[in-house]
Amino acid sequence: MSKADPGKAIRSRDHPTPSQIARRLISLQRSEHAGADTPARAAAAACDHLYRELSRWVGRDGCHALFARALSEAQTDDSALEGIHLRPGSDPYVDGAAETIMAYGDAATAEGLESMLVRLVELLGRLIGDDMAVKLIEQSLAPSHGSDGAADKREEA
Amino acid sequence: MKQEERQTIRSLPSGVPGLDGVLGGGLPEYSFNLIAGGPGSGKTTLAHQIMFANATVERPALYFTVLGEPTLKMLRYQQQFSYFDPELAGSSIEFINLSAEVMERDLGEVLQRITSEIERAKPGIVVVDSFRTIAGQHDGSGNGQASNIDQFVQRLALHLTTWEITSFLLGEYAEEEQRSPVFTVADGILWLTQATDRNSVVRKLQVVKTRGRAPMPGLHTFRITDDGLQVFPRIPPQTLKRTPRKRERQPTGVPGLDEMIGGGIITGDAVLLTGPAGSGKSTVATQFIVAGLSQGETGVIAVFEEYPEEYIARASARNPDIAQMVKAGKLEIIYLRPLDLSVDEALFSILEAVDRLGAKRVVIDSLSGFEVALAPTFREDFRESLYRLVGTLTATGVTVFMTAEVSEAFREARFTSENVSFITDEIIVQRYVEIEGGLGRVMAVIKMRGSEHSHEFRRYEVTPKGVVVGDTLKEYDGLITGVPTLRAKPGRTKRRN
Repeated sequence: MSKADPGKAIRSRDHPTPSQIARRLISLQRSEHAGADTPARAAAAACDHLYRELSRWVGRDGCHALFARALSEAQTDDSALEGIHLRPGSDPYVDGAAETIMAYGDAATAEGLESMLVRLVELLGRLIGDDMAVKLIEQSLAPSHGSDGAADKREEA
Repeated sequence: MKQEERQTIRSLPSGVPGLDGVLGGGLPEYSFNLIAGGPGSGKTTLAHQIMFANATVERPALYFTVLGEPTLKMLRYQQQFSYFDPELAGSSIEFINLSAEVMERDLGEVLQRITSEIERAKPGIVVVDSFRTIAGQHDGSGNGQASNIDQFVQRLALHLTTWEITSFLLGEYAEEEQRSPVFTVADGILWLTQATDRNSVVRKLQVVKTRGRAPMPGLHTFRITDDGLQVFPRIPPQTLKRTPRKRERQPTGVPGLDEMIGGGIITGDAVLLTGPAGSGKSTVATQFIVAGLSQGETGVIAVFEEYPEEYIARASARNPDIAQMVKAGKLEIIYLRPLDLSVDEALFSILEAVDRLGAKRVVIDSLSGFEVALAPTFREDFRESLYRLVGTLTATGVTVFMTAEVSEAFREARFTSENVSFITDEIIVQRYVEIEGGLGRVMAVIKMRGSEHSHEFRRYEVTPKGVVVGDTLKEYDGLITGVPTLRAKPGRTKRRN
């Protein structure tokens, strides 16, 4: 799938595209958390948040498997993501964001992480259908059931 | 205690066709239930069906998954069923994965997580799938934790009931494991089995226990289709509301036959027509249905040996209006899936069609085909099952006309399929006889409860318009053997074949 339009495959008339969903997740983090004050930090915080919320539904291992594949696919198109690692059970979940920002810049890191989110939404859609995927993610956008301090921890880091 | 003083236990619909009746009216509200059975027995599907039937925004459902089937896969597969409503899944049903707590922490923390989720969401329905996995991770195994499981179950049950939750624990249990504490604590136990007999698989459900209710006893067959589970109760509700019989006569549509049976078949009777292959049993059965249709009645034909299209095509040759009657909703031809059928499933389909059409006449063509269509395990108790089937159908007031093939060897007098003759009110037999070097057909009525009937063998022909009963063969002896002799006239002793 091309980097230019990764969300095309599961776009439907009723659902937002994976790209739209990813951007929404990121912008929500940016508006709600002081630590997510740049596009890249907001994207990393969105990944952390989505990992935490999706884990409630599909389990930590299941969620990590989804993210791991999404990252692997995104890394083939985006060399900026090579320093990004996923740490299941850790907070933050996405590790290496700060180093990547330093090496590639904020914009390139943000673009790479957004690409990973897009691929994750696509993958989820293929597995459980667009309807369910959107619903699961929408639930994750609702007020959190637990603590959501990853973005702030990023800032502290 | 007086009836009005008793606490009323409301019932929740199970969402499973046929199951509420088996449960004695539905699922008792706030009950703590165990759904047990082997792998692939339908536990998860049943729990989902119950959940989708009851979850609301105000009283949502929480579905706790543990180890076993990954949630993603479960969501993927469960969506294939028609009851899965994505709208509910996003708003009124929440899936929560407990695998981290179960694998890494103790039972106290598992309970605490469940408790906190319940207090947050205030659900009306809670499912734990699979409870067995929780118990398995924290079993006795020499660590002195068996009592922990007991306490966990007790506390979980108390908590769920206190929060006014109807709950379901799912688990893979074997018969010999019923001493597990969850069996004692549970208010209701549904046991699902999937038995293989030769090449067929039969699913059965048993309500082992339900507190405060009188469930329908016994094993009830069920099937899993695109719509989820469907249970076929052993005692359909129609059995309990018997329609008073009027003892009117219904014409058979076979010229000459009504005269043999005292004016027609008695309404609500079970009639058995037996005969060898090719003797015209299906033709008579179709004539019986067509006679009703021509009077404005409706009818149902259950076929087992051919597809409805083939049946209609064949019957149309003699009764051109058949196809039109089917289209008009006056006649329904049911084809029942062969080889793994249960009698209760067949009965359910027939009763459903009878209710739908308001049918007065039902044909089962044939019992021989029906028996073959059954899973082997049901063939063993075919007689008892058929007794229930006929009893239930006739209780609704319909007249049941069944055909049965009997193998016929000349010189052997076999009138009926003796396995099933006791369940019928009227028995008509067809036979081949050798007359004048040709193969002739004769018909006789050998049983008719509460009515006079002919005791003669009458010759009949299968004409392009159907079966027509002719004269008696008074000049012959030994018709019963199939090889009659012309009665000797004075001065003659020659045997005629």
